[in-house]
Amino acid sequence: MSPLLEVHKLSRFFGGLRAVNDLSFTVSSGEIFGIIGPNGAGKSTAVNLVSGVTKPTSGKVRFQGTDVTGQPPHKLVQYGLARTFQSTTVFGNCTVEENCRRGSYLARYPGFFHSFFSTSKAGEMRQASDSRVAEVLEWLDLHRVRNVRAADLPYGAQKTLGMAISLMAWPKLLMLDEPVAGLSAAEADNVRDTIRKIRAEGISVVVIDHNMRFMAGLCDRILVLHHGQELAHGLPQDVLSDPNVIEAYLGRRYVKA
Amino acid sequence: MNSTAETVPVISKVRLGRSTSSALIGGGIAIVAALAIMPYLLDERFFYHIAILVCFAAIGASSLHLIIRTGHVSLCHAAFIGVGAYVSANVVMKLGFPFVGGLVAGTLAAAGLGLMIGPVILRLTGKYFVLITFLFGEILRMVFVDWQSITGGANGLSGIPAPAPVFAEPKYFYALALLAATACVAVCGRILSSETGRFVNAIRESEQLTECVGVPVIRTKVMIFVIACGFAGFAGALIAHYARYISPPNFGPLESLNLVIMNVIGGMQTLVGPLLGAIFLVLVPEFLRGYVQLQHIMFGVILILVMAFLPAGVVGVKDWVARRMIPHDRRGEQ
Ligand SMILES: Nc1ncnc2c1ncn2[C@@H]1O[C@H](COP(=O)(O)OP(=O)(O)OP(=O)(O)O)[C@@H](O)[C@H]1O
Ligand SMILES: [Mg+2]
Repeated sequence: MSPLLEVHKLSRFFGGLRAVNDLSFTVSSGEIFGIIGPNGAGKSTAVNLVSGVTKPTSGKVRFQGTDVTGQPPHKLVQYGLARTFQSTTVFGNCTVEENCRRGSYLARYPGFFHSFFSTSKAGEMRQASDSRVAEVLEWLDLHRVRNVRAADLPYGAQKTLGMAISLMAWPKLLMLDEPVAGLSAAEADNVRDTIRKIRAEGISVVVIDHNMRFMAGLCDRILVLHHGQELAHGLPQDVLSDPNVIEAYLGRRYVKA
Repeated sequence: MNSTAETVPVISKVRLGRSTSSALIGGGIAIVAALAIMPYLLDERFFYHIAILVCFAAIGASSLHLIIRTGHVSLCHAAFIGVGAYVSANVVMKLGFPFVGGLVAGTLAAAGLGLMIGPVILRLTGKYFVLITFLFGEILRMVFVDWQSITGGANGLSGIPAPAPVFAEPKYFYALALLAATACVAVCGRILSSETGRFVNAIRESEQLTECVGVPVIRTKVMIFVIACGFAGFAGALIAHYARYISPPNFGPLESLNLVIMNVIGGMQTLVGPLLGAIFLVLVPEFLRGYVQLQHIMFGVILILVMAFLPAGVVGVKDWVARRMIPHDRRGEQ
C-alpha cells in the first residue's frame, strides 16, 4: 500500500538556524503517527512545513502520491490534509456551533453570488453543512455545549473543539500540534479517546507532544526529533528504550518514568 | 468531556442581548429613515445639502466598514473616492459620455485600482497595512496634484455638469443620493449577513485558523477590498457631479481619517455603526458652526469620550443598557 503522506529530505532554515534539517518520514492510511522532541526541536515547524503554513527551504512533500510541496494551507485542505495549532485553535468569540460552521467552508460556501442571492444551491449546501455540524458535534461529544461561547469552554473542551473545526473539512489526515499540552490527566485521556475515535473513522492522525506516556499509549509509530533531525524512528517501545533517545533527549528527567 | 460539559454555564444572556440589540438596530433604522425624509419636511436648500453630505459619507463609511470587517483599517479610502470623482468628471467632460457612463467608469476605475494593489497590500497586517495605505493615499494625492491635464492640478476641476439639469437642484439630487446610499448600504449589509460575511468575520478573528480550514483568505480579502473600492469610486462620481468642482484636498488623508472615525464612533462591529458615525460626523460640525474656534476642540473631546466610554462605538450603548437592565442580585448568574 502506498503511503498517505511522504516527507522527503525536508529542510527549513531560519537564518543560520536549522529548525528542520533533512527530515524524511511516511504516514500510512489509518495510522496514528507521533512526533516527539524537546522544546525547539522543530516539531511545530515540521507540521507547518507539511501543512503549507511555512515554505520549505528544500525537500518534498507528497500527499496521496501528488507533490504538494509549498502549496498554501487552503489548497492542502482540499487535498484532505488538515491541522490544528499549538495555541490558537478556536474562534473564542462565537459559539461552538458557529465555530464548526466556519470550519466547514468547503462544504458550505457556494461562492459570492450564490450566497449573496441565497440561491437554492446555497440553501442545499447550508443544510448539508448544518447536518454535518450536528453530526460532528454529536460524535465528539460537544453537542451539549453547542451554544456556549468557545472562550467560555474549559481548556480541554477547547482542544476538542479545535479538532472538530478541522474535521469539518472531512480530511484524510489530521495533524495535531500538542493537543494535550496544559491539560489535566483526565482531560488528556478524553482527548486520547477522541483521537482514537477519529482514527476509527479512517482518518490518519499525526500527533505532536512532549508527554511520553500519552504518546506511547496512543501512537502506532513515533519519530523523535532533536535539533531538527531524526534521532530515532519506529514502534513506541523500541523508540522509548533506544539508548540514544534516553541519553540525548529524555535525560534524567524521564528515565524514571 | 461529558462531566466538564455540564458544568459550563450556557449563556442565558443571549436572549436578552438579542432582543435589546434588535430593538436598538430597529430603532437605528427608524431614526435613519426619519432623517432621510426630514429634509423634505423642512424643505430648505441647506437641509438638502446637509442630507446629501450624509448620504456621501454613508457610502464612504459603510464601504470602508467592509474592509474594516476583514480586520484591516485603510487610510486611503478617500483617495479611491477621488479616483472615482476624477475619472467620472473626465469621462463626462472630455469624452462626452452621459453621467451614467462616468458613474460606471469611476466605479470600475476605483475597483480596478483596488484589484491591482489589493493582492499586495492585503498581505500586510495591522499597523503595516495602515501605514502602506496612508502612503498609497499620499501617492494618489500627488497624482491628483501633478497630473494637470487630467486633474486640473491644485486648482482642481470646475464646471463638472450635474447628472441632468434637474439634478442641479439639491432637492432632486437628494433623491438620487438617498437612493444611491440606500442601495450601497443594502449591498454591504447583504454581503455581511450572507455566508461571505461569516467567513469575513472568521478572517478578522483568526486569519491563520481560517486559512487552515480551507478559506482562500487573500482572495476573499481582495474581493471585499475591490467591492469596497468600487463603492468609493461610485461615491466619488456622485460627489463630482454634485459639487461640480473637485480638488485634491477633498480626497486627502484627513478625509480618509474622517471615514475611519465614523466607523470608530459609530461602532465597528455592525453596519449600523458607520451609518450613525456618518450622521454624527456630518451634523456635529454644523451644530458647532457658531463656535468655529471651539469646533475642533469640542470635536476632539467628543471623540475621546466616545472612545473611552463606548469602546464598541455608539452602537455599544445597547450593551450599556443591557447591563443596567439586569437586576443586581442576578448578575452573579450571568
Ligand atoms: N518563524 C521563525 N523564525 C525564526 N525562528 C523560528 C521560527 N519558527 C521557529 N523558529 C525556531 O525554530 C526552532 C524550532 O521551533 P519549533 O516551534 O518548530 O519547535 P517545537 O519543537 O515545536 O517546540 P515546542 O515544543 O516549544 O513547541 C526553534 O529554535 C525556534 O526558535
Ligand atoms: Mg511547537
